[in-house]
Amino acid sequence: MLRPWLSSGAVRALSRAPRSLRPILIPRNNFSSASNLQIDRVPLRKQLKQDAKSLKAQKKQRKENEEASRQEWELTVGVEIHAQLDTAAKLFSRAATSTSATPNSNVALFDLAFPGSQPKFQPATLLPALRAAIALNCQIQPVSRFDRKHYFYQDQPSGYQITQYYEPFARNGYIDLFDYDGIAPEDGERVRIDIQQVQMEQDTAKSQEYPGPTSTQLLDFNRVSHPLIEIITLPQIHSPATAAACVRKLQSILQACGAVTTGMELGGLRADINVSIRRRSEVLGGLGQRTEIKNLSSFKAVEDAIIAEKNRQIAVLESGGKVLGETRGWTIGSTETHLLRGKEGAVDYRYMPDPDIPPLVIGEDLITRLQESLPMAPDTLLLQLIGPEYGLPIEDAKPLIELDDGARLEYYQDVVDILHKNGLDKSTKAVLARMAGNWVLHELGGLLTKADQTWHADIVPAQSLADLIDHLKRGLVTGPMAKQVLASIFDGDRRPVPQLLEEDNLLLRPLSREEYISLAESAIALNPKMVEQIRGKQLGKLGWFVGQMMRMGEKGRVEAPKAEMILRELILGEKA
Amino acid sequence: MSLLREAEKCIANQHANGLNAFITPLPRAGQWLDRVREADRRRDQGKQKSILDGRLVAIKDNICTRELPTTCASGILDKFASPFNATVVDQLEDAGAIVAGKTNLDEFGMGSHSTNSRFGLVKNSRRDKDGQDLSAGGSSGGSAVAVAADQCYVALGTDTGGSVRLPAAYTGTVGFKPSYGLISRWGVVAYANSLDTVGVLGKTTSSVRDVFSILNHYDERDPTSISARSRSRINTHLQTSRLASRLTSTPLRIGVPLEYNISELAPSVRQAWLMSLAHLQEQGHTIKTVSLPATKHALSAYYVLAPAEASSNLAKYDGVRYGTRHDGPDNDGNSDSYLYSNTRGHGFGPEVQRRILLGTFSLSADAMDNYFIQAQRVRRLVQQDFDSVFHASNPLATNDLDAGRPGSGDDVDVLVCPTAPSPPPRLSDITGNSAGSSPLNAYVNDVFTVPASLAGLPAISVPVTVTGSNQDTGTDGMTGIQVIGQYGDDELVMQVGEILESRQFVGSP
Repeated sequence: MLRPWLSSGAVRALSRAPRSLRPILIPRNNFSSASNLQIDRVPLRKQLKQDAKSLKAQKKQRKENEEASRQEWELTVGVEIHAQLDTAAKLFSRAATSTSATPNSNVALFDLAFPGSQPKFQPATLLPALRAAIALNCQIQPVSRFDRKHYFYQDQPSGYQITQYYEPFARNGYIDLFDYDGIAPEDGERVRIDIQQVQMEQDTAKSQEYPGPTSTQLLDFNRVSHPLIEIITLPQIHSPATAAACVRKLQSILQACGAVTTGMELGGLRADINVSIRRRSEVLGGLGQRTEIKNLSSFKAVEDAIIAEKNRQIAVLESGGKVLGETRGWTIGSTETHLLRGKEGAVDYRYMPDPDIPPLVIGEDLITRLQESLPMAPDTLLLQLIGPEYGLPIEDAKPLIELDDGARLEYYQDVVDILHKNGLDKSTKAVLARMAGNWVLHELGGLLTKADQTWHADIVPAQSLADLIDHLKRGLVTGPMAKQVLASIFDGDRRPVPQLLEEDNLLLRPLSREEYISLAESAIALNPKMVEQIRGKQLGKLGWFVGQMMRMGEKGRVEAPKAEMILRELILGEKA
Repeated sequence: MSLLREAEKCIANQHANGLNAFITPLPRAGQWLDRVREADRRRDQGKQKSILDGRLVAIKDNICTRELPTTCASGILDKFASPFNATVVDQLEDAGAIVAGKTNLDEFGMGSHSTNSRFGLVKNSRRDKDGQDLSAGGSSGGSAVAVAADQCYVALGTDTGGSVRLPAAYTGTVGFKPSYGLISRWGVVAYANSLDTVGVLGKTTSSVRDVFSILNHYDERDPTSISARSRSRINTHLQTSRLASRLTSTPLRIGVPLEYNISELAPSVRQAWLMSLAHLQEQGHTIKTVSLPATKHALSAYYVLAPAEASSNLAKYDGVRYGTRHDGPDNDGNSDSYLYSNTRGHGFGPEVQRRILLGTFSLSADAMDNYFIQAQRVRRLVQQDFDSVFHASNPLATNDLDAGRPGSGDDVDVLVCPTAPSPPPRLSDITGNSAGSSPLNAYVNDVFTVPASLAGLPAISVPVTVTGSNQDTGTDGMTGIQVIGQYGDDELVMQVGEILESRQFVGSP
């Protein structure tokens, strides 16, 4: 796998632009001095081992370097998130929002900035925006206004974006980040990031370079004026990991309260990051000159870009230079941010109150109603999942909440609801809930990964999984058999589980004690040496005998715990 | 005379003279003829849709029409046809009116003489004593001339800082700018949204009123349209006894703003103003001088605010989705130069470019506080000035809608002043390289009309004539007199206009 990559791409790139390769993560000594021939002689397994080792060493080194620079320099980060709101209509026209419709099929006159057309604020778009602001603990402003932000670009039909610059609809919120959210260790158990403001604004059109000899841009105005919220935090984050955790958490909160359509991976969320550094010895002065990294589209990009930009700024300052107020970009997989616009190229947006759009007046009654109907916040949800009722381990609870925009959790809840239907006692309920967590996340998740398939609740109906878990819990089917059944449902077997188990004869017909003894004795007879070893306290070898018994017995009928019990009885003389 | 005969005469006039009032005149033959014949039939049967049924209404070419192009007199829209009708056009057609073509204007409404047009300048149908061509006023000069020269029955214009009233004054017609927000702006191409109003031009106040009553309705497509609820609130307010009795049983208190008596006022205009006031006094009304101290800053504030909004509103013209795109690359082929510079540089005329640049500057981060914000403050002061002299309270400024403040006796019902400081200038003086052709000179013409625009108040310009005066600078002695009222007092303003309209005063030699 590695070889073709090395011999084609990398080596060619090396000869073309040697310096650009330096920061690539693959250890340099693999190809810097060695010729292709030499590489060919290294056995693959050995080479992979070497690579892994050296990668590990490099990671460690990098970690140490990061820590050393952290001791000297304080990083300060502010986050701006643009999130597409989940609304039926656009912000200022009745045209429908769409992400997959035929290009330019959902556009009103105003969306195209036709002369004489005017904006018409769509009040329904306010609801998801308010839900987000409430979920982010903001103070909702009774009166807010819309402003025009001017710049020329082909994706901006009117020559300005309508946003809320001077008087946003929500201010002074905060977001709490916990250790389990993945914040940096130095931030301790919890860090609170203040949110300066949340504002409503329009999205732009999509523009796409059309391949050809002349520079041609294709424009799709469906996205124009799709409602967005921009969330602006104060510059209170001091580590790249915490910044990434902040963005991740913002996304999960926005999704949990039903404010947004999709997450970062589908382009529903974009982040701009402000980065500055200053020496820890000078923290009494103001913040250092900041730069802005635009349009980051993944959590990893957020973290990597901040690390790169921080290191760039440190290098600039350490070599006696000055950090300039620039706008910078980030390419995924890169190790350096790149200049988009220098300070002298900065755009003066000439913010002007929009004379056509009346002020937005938000009543207390609406806020109260939304507060009452807001779905549970992710943190509360997490506490509940790891609490006595569900008893999930935190490392299961978190992905359950975060996976598939919350759809996995919904599915999990469906499975649990079916399992809990029969009014069981508390401890049984908790056991079932934990089992369901395991099956939804790991067993089903494993099948998805193996098949390289994306999540859908219909692949294995919740009822089927619940039935399967129920059978397992009641000892009507063995664990391995249950896994096998899940796989066949996953592959499209649509029969109800009880019918499936019945028809395919998969229900556990327990072996009698005599049958177990006879199986065990045959196994022992074939391997007398092992028996001695076990008696010599090598108890681990018992498992091997269990495996033998399962292989020798009728498929799906040998239950491992029972087999082990019999083995212990026969070999060690233990009494059940 | 039948409607058809009347319409045919108008069309003949449109095609006959070289006043260039229309960018797109109505073709002599067309489907409109049948519609006029049907209107004639309805009239014979006494089933007229409205007073405008079968009558020709000229539409300023910055108001969108589906049937005819809408150019805004700009190179950037010189072939543009709007896919929709402005609300006002729909309202007129529903009332049976025929769109009489699209009238010439200063590009996007920016100008005071209707000379800044991609389609050539408009000539006033009046001439001076030496037979020299005169300014028609602007920016609705085409609409005013179309009315004056009988090329239509009435016309729609737009008034942002005086663009209906000034041409009315220069052409000897009646020009009415209603309270801001009463007539829908949906489909009216924005110059400066917070000031733009649709206005009406006609031979008489009565015909203007007929049009206004058809257009004076809430439109949900215009976010600045006054809601039905606010309209009824304002009406209730006006029906309180003290306000309702004005002019019916109580004589008016007429305000004369001291600050409007500027040294630049032409003697003929001052004389017409004085004689108009004297006439009103003879009718039993009281004349009172009032002070509007913010007036002297109003013009500067206007020329900060209107260009600021214009620079924003006109940012949409890039030739990408509609309009005329300049041949070749958008910039000089140099990737560092500015997007659309060729299209916008060639599409816009010099005055539009000047105002876009002015506005771009006054909105820029370093200038915003000193220009845009200050100008907004002046705008507030202008509004407060008016509120402090009018007896009727401003129905939008306060919830406290009593019939008026306990009269100090100093407050007034309407203000009467000239529409423009001088008679129409010669076109040769404006367009040549003479001193009179500087843009600043043109801006001064708006000094009396801009305050009412900044405050969103109703104002009308009506012609009065002074004969036998030596002070006449060479015209036929016609001068526009302006009546300004409190917000919502549109009807009162028209009534006072009617008292003065077409009065002939004999001046002292």
